[in-house]
Amino acid sequence: MGDEVREADGEKRVEAPTNQDNLIMEQQRQIEEEISEAIPLVGVKEDLLCALEKEYAADPIYTMKAKDLSSKYSSIRRMRPDGNCFFRAFAYAYFERLLTNKDEYKSFYDIVSKSKDDLIELGFPQFTLEDFYDTFMEVVERIGGGEMAQDELYELFNVTGQSNYIVVYLRLITSGKLQRDADFYLNFIDGNRTMTAFCHQEVEPMFKESDHIHIIALSAALNVGVRVRYMDRGDSAQVIAHDFPEGTTPAVHLLYRPGHYDILYEH
Amino acid sequence: MPQGASRPASKGTHAGYAGHPPNHPNHAPSRAPTMEQVTAMLARVGPFGSTPPSPAAPAASPSSAPGNPGSSGTSSAGAGAVALATSSRPSGQDALRWERRLQKELMAFVTDPPPGLSIDADVTSQNLQDWTVELQGAEGTLYEGEHFQLNFKFNSKYPFDAPQVMFIGNHIPVHPHIYSNGHICLSILTEDWSPAHSVQSVCLSIMSMLSSCKDKKRPVDNSLYVKTCNKNPKKTKWWYHDDTV
Repeated sequence: MGDEVREADGEKRVEAPTNQDNLIMEQQRQIEEEISEAIPLVGVKEDLLCALEKEYAADPIYTMKAKDLSSKYSSIRRMRPDGNCFFRAFAYAYFERLLTNKDEYKSFYDIVSKSKDDLIELGFPQFTLEDFYDTFMEVVERIGGGEMAQDELYELFNVTGQSNYIVVYLRLITSGKLQRDADFYLNFIDGNRTMTAFCHQEVEPMFKESDHIHIIALSAALNVGVRVRYMDRGDSAQVIAHDFPEGTTPAVHLLYRPGHYDILYEH
Repeated sequence: MPQGASRPASKGTHAGYAGHPPNHPNHAPSRAPTMEQVTAMLARVGPFGSTPPSPAAPAASPSSAPGNPGSSGTSSAGAGAVALATSSRPSGQDALRWERRLQKELMAFVTDPPPGLSIDADVTSQNLQDWTVELQGAEGTLYEGEHFQLNFKFNSKYPFDAPQVMFIGNHIPVHPHIYSNGHICLSILTEDWSPAHSVQSVCLSIMSMLSSCKDKKRPVDNSLYVKTCNKNPKKTKWWYHDDTV
């Protein structure tokens, strides 16, 4: 407790029993562990109305919105709320689509196979970049090889290291897009950070949450339309949709509830 | 040559609380690896920049089971015949991912060491979770002619978890962002860490932090911090407020 206060007011105090810090770190670790035991990185497909009505039984606004959503979508797939949910949801939903969509696979493959050289050209460290690129492409190639089934994809995304390698590579692609088109994207960020600083602090590190700017950049970089349904406390009966980039046909549908993204499946 | 090198270290600075000064033990003097050692490492890791070992790769050595990463079990082999696991796939491949990554990093470091940096490949490959990098103050800077030792500790969540990085030994650089106990205030070591960083990019960030220094002095809160901090610098709640040095 004492240490949290210290963090909050930002002052250094002399009395500082070492073990308290360790205890807090330990406790944080345990909480993270509990979350990871309780919620898989990628969940199973659930009936949308069923899942949301249960969750919001005592909440008329959300129940109304769940009904509206269920007129368009049949199922939901929950993601672990670890700050990577947008990237993981995007990758999972799109890879799932590519399992059966050969034409789209080809153009996606062409885009991502060029991405490594683009990023190196932008000054990304080649050594680590290759590590992530290789793992990412290994998965992409397995999808295109027609040898991967739905449940394999599901298993693969629930293996922490492999799943996170995919997330990292999408973060790097996003960062690359933001830096390449910095003149445009700078309009969307607050303060007077440079785009490079923004990417180092908000895009590349794991577990940092995504905002509109991440979604716009990633969907533009990979030419994959994303429709996000916003479910919040607002009093409209409809769950508002935003398409990224604007005007594209969505290939991936996500549900946003404050601070978190899950995957949606259309009827 | 990894260009990443040149990504600037972000801000540095001071502040924090709690703990003891670190007491770092052992560490061996650095020497250049022999060609045989490099070849052996290359063989273990596979072609640089290639895809990870194929399913046909040799199975993992029993002495470095996933549950027992970097333990003393691997260090029993004599020099030149270092026992390192080649991760086998698919089983256990995920648990050994950090190890494969560190092997690749070590190999890259040894075959093409960045200017002013060196590492004892033999000692390091016996315990991949603990590296000591020798660092030489760059010519034309305030640290010219000085030698330092930078210690890295990795856990099995590397590269998703940042390594613990600090100066060790008798000679700690005098710098506004480096405490006399070896702790370094550098944002990429905590909240701005990203898996795209590496030992090499961290070393180069620290080199550039040293090279840009114009006034050799300790952080203003050095004596307080050193008395009260945790021995693990990652457990310090750093305040990054100054990126001019």
